[in-house]
Amino acid sequence: MKTDSNMILVVEDLVKYYGAGENLVRAVDHTNLEIERGRFTAIVGRSGSGKSTLLHLIGGLDRPDEGKIWIEGKDIFALKDDQLAKFRRKKIGFIFQDFNLIPSLNVWENIVLPLGLDNRKVRKNDVAEVLEKIGLADKIESMPNALSGGQKQRTAIARALVTRPAMILADEPTGNLDSQTELEVISLLKSCVKDFGQTLVMITHDETIAQMADRVIEIADGKAVNC
Amino acid sequence: MKMTTRIAFDNMKYYKSRNMLIGIAIVLTTMLLFVIPSVGKGMIDIQFAATNRLYPAWHALYRNVDEEIVRQLSVHHDISKYGLRSDAGYMKLEDASVGMLYVDQDGMELYKMELAEGSFPKQKDEIVVSQGILTELGQQGDIGDTVTVPYQIFRGGELDLAQQGEFRICGFLEDNDTNRKTRAYTALISEAFLKSEIPNEEIVYRFLLQIDDTDEPTTDEIEEKVKNIAEQFGVSEDDTNINQDYLMANYVDPVMLPAIVMIMAIIVLAGVITIYSIYYVSMNQRIQEFGRMKAIGAAKRQIRQVVLREGFCVAAFAVPVGLLAGTFVSKAVLSLFVHFMGGEDEYMKTIREVINSGEVSLYYWWAYVLAAAVTLCTIYISLIRPMHVASKISEVEAMRMQGAGKRSRSRRKGYEFITIGRLTRRNLLENKRKSTITILSMAVTGVFLMVVATVLSCANPTESANGTLVGQYEISPVIEENNKEHPERRWTEIQKDNPMDEPLKQQIEALAGVRRVDTFTIVKVTSEVFDEGDYQWINGVSREYAKELEKGITEGQITYEELKSGDKVIVDTAFLHWYPEVGIGDKLNLTVYDGDRAYEKEFEVAAIGDYRSGLTDAGYLIMAKEAADRLCENNSSGYFHVIADKNYDEELKEALSEIVDASGRIDMRIWKTEYETWKSAMTVTSGASYAFLGILAAISVMNLVNTMINSVHVRKKELGMMQAIGMSDSQLLRMLQLEGLFYTLGTLLISVGLGSLAGYPVFLYAKRNRIFNISTYHYPVTTAVTVSVVLLLLQILLAAGIGRSVKKASLIERIRFSE
Repeated sequence: MKTDSNMILVVEDLVKYYGAGENLVRAVDHTNLEIERGRFTAIVGRSGSGKSTLLHLIGGLDRPDEGKIWIEGKDIFALKDDQLAKFRRKKIGFIFQDFNLIPSLNVWENIVLPLGLDNRKVRKNDVAEVLEKIGLADKIESMPNALSGGQKQRTAIARALVTRPAMILADEPTGNLDSQTELEVISLLKSCVKDFGQTLVMITHDETIAQMADRVIEIADGKAVNC
Repeated sequence: MKMTTRIAFDNMKYYKSRNMLIGIAIVLTTMLLFVIPSVGKGMIDIQFAATNRLYPAWHALYRNVDEEIVRQLSVHHDISKYGLRSDAGYMKLEDASVGMLYVDQDGMELYKMELAEGSFPKQKDEIVVSQGILTELGQQGDIGDTVTVPYQIFRGGELDLAQQGEFRICGFLEDNDTNRKTRAYTALISEAFLKSEIPNEEIVYRFLLQIDDTDEPTTDEIEEKVKNIAEQFGVSEDDTNINQDYLMANYVDPVMLPAIVMIMAIIVLAGVITIYSIYYVSMNQRIQEFGRMKAIGAAKRQIRQVVLREGFCVAAFAVPVGLLAGTFVSKAVLSLFVHFMGGEDEYMKTIREVINSGEVSLYYWWAYVLAAAVTLCTIYISLIRPMHVASKISEVEAMRMQGAGKRSRSRRKGYEFITIGRLTRRNLLENKRKSTITILSMAVTGVFLMVVATVLSCANPTESANGTLVGQYEISPVIEENNKEHPERRWTEIQKDNPMDEPLKQQIEALAGVRRVDTFTIVKVTSEVFDEGDYQWINGVSREYAKELEKGITEGQITYEELKSGDKVIVDTAFLHWYPEVGIGDKLNLTVYDGDRAYEKEFEVAAIGDYRSGLTDAGYLIMAKEAADRLCENNSSGYFHVIADKNYDEELKEALSEIVDASGRIDMRIWKTEYETWKSAMTVTSGASYAFLGILAAISVMNLVNTMINSVHVRKKELGMMQAIGMSDSQLLRMLQLEGLFYTLGTLLISVGLGSLAGYPVFLYAKRNRIFNISTYHYPVTTAVTVSVVLLLLQILLAAGIGRSVKKASLIERIRFSE
């Protein structure tokens, strides 16, 4: 077990292939990396380089063919599916490119959903603090279809933050937003993570955003080429 | 292949799971649509074939027709075939009855009589006999041998003095069990003999005829023609005899068709609701697809065609499977019917013979065509609305939609915190119409099932048998008011020498196992207010039933003591069925028949009551026995109700049967026989009804399967998303189960609730119309519990199955999934 308490994430010799024979895709190919607690790390790379697959593996959404991932010293793939789901909702917050809000729930309900799934009590003040921070305090009763793209993504950010996870994984969170909103959202995300002392790992292929990160990891052909 | 057909075919393959569900619904619908008319027609054909074997083939016969009328009738354009019979007389024998008849060749055919060997008598001294006749005559002989026959000839309307003649045997008839048992036989003599013995002007014939059926008339039309011809030639109604059994067996009864059409309409309705509902629920998912097609130039008509052809592509696979399944099922159903239909009588034996001989084919080409055509119509009707919706989709709107339907509300108060239950509730509310349609479409079948189950559960063989008999055995004289062959069986004749006398009663009471014998009196009455030719019976009920009489009163009031006055009656509700205008306080002026005497008397309707048929025995004007006794000087005992210690006692039955057989003038009805009859009838009816309803239920369950699969399919990404943020597999399964539970409970609530409520009036209707002799309401607990358990189990399995199939795709695949 990795014991370096400063490292929130350790990826060791991670392999994930898709297909076979001529169609074999080496999405993640013997990748090693470590990420420090409380830092903003950007993962960059060309389309098809394997960065999304890496992020999904880090988040425990998929299982690797080989290799291990430790989050806060825990080997996440040693966990069974249900244990992994519980681990995920406690330790990891996700933000996706296309928001993925639940259309039948209003903003407040979408945000407190992970707490509900974890049978945790909703501390109204904590949620209000997050809402205040992301500027959606007046939208709590709005339905997702009544929100703009930026508002939807802010809701998704709030949902990721509300459980106070150790690490937030964001998969091109601004990919569907205009440039003005894009900067707003990233700034917001960065400041939130800082305020709540969380680690942020974000996939992007936007240079400007990558420059805002504490650290940039470049992925090419399934390998981390520049850590 | 046309482009629209190509797209439709590809769509069918692409939306495999949904189309498989529709396919199953179509298979089941087609199967039912094939089985119902096939088995219906098969049963009728088998019964008809049996009837044809047992009954003569004439449509009608005219009695007492002289030679001149025969000549005129024989050229009538409506008569396609005729035969003649004339009764020359009887052989004079001690205990046997042997009629000597002249029957011509066509008459023989119409009577379905065939010579076992030899030829028809032509010469005056030729005769056709049977081995039974020879035994009765105490002689032996073969073809060509001479026998001596003592006989009496009908002359001037009566049997003349006995004479003796020598006859040469020219042929033999076969004896059957009935001949031997009743010792009643028929010998055939020649026309020459008939004419030599009876003067021409005194000879009367029975004119047997078949009506021309080239224009396929119904039974009613044939009867109408028979009556018209009789009227034209002055043949009285009494002299006209219509062969109802044969006509029923060979011509369509107008009542039959609507019954089959109604059952088929129910199947079509279930099919339409299910297929429509499956399309409706899945339509949102495909709005974008149709929008895209429109955007690239598909016309409305083409979109409609794509939807329609997709349905028909599924049908192209499902209909043949349904027909094939129906072919096997109908054969099995018929075998089961015959297996459960008890009875060892001649008719049932013949039915079994007909089935085993394969004489009736169960496979009618038109049933295949009909089932296929009606199924295709069902599919078309189900698709009208989906076609319309698909073709109306606006390109822009469709492209914008995320496949989750319109959401008009932009704000809504929410829960402070979210649980799995609340999450489920939100989703169901969001898809209110979808949920409602699923529940309603399943509930329609559920309500229907509960209503039928109510009637079936009220049909209890013991209660039905108790309803048809007062005691365990019912003994009554053989009464036949309209049998010209047996004028001695008219009630007024019986009254003069009634076999139901005190010694008989005492003889029965003395039998071991008999507790008591209750006598009911019957009095024949006619009235001007009755239909022409109709007569009714006053029923003198004995004191033991005073309480039952008073309890059964539904309108008005009268005590048993008051009924002793003799001028007041309770009218049974069945009487009002024919004479609805009769009411309480009405005075009925009746002609009372008492042997050779008839007199007028006025009776007041004091009350209306609802009684079991065993108590009334078609005597719907009820009064106290002692009052009814006073109406007649002759012995008017109509029923001995034997109250025995046990419901069935073989020894007592044998003893009573001996008494009945010895008398030859009385009949007996047995509780056990009634019980067995009801039991077997109800087993067959319930079995058939539940099998039918089970398949209908299976069709509608396809809705539940589709809605749940669809709800998961549409939300694949959403569910993946929820799992990404921490929903565990067990939480997902719980959510799916809660959703299924909602559909199940909704369906159960409406089915069982509304079905139970609707069942009661249907029970009252069945009771009023004496369907299955239903008398007491029984809630169909077993059906309600079975339906609930089956539906709940099904839903649990379904949720588990869907949960498993969801997990087949990795979380990543699900999150990436987009319509």
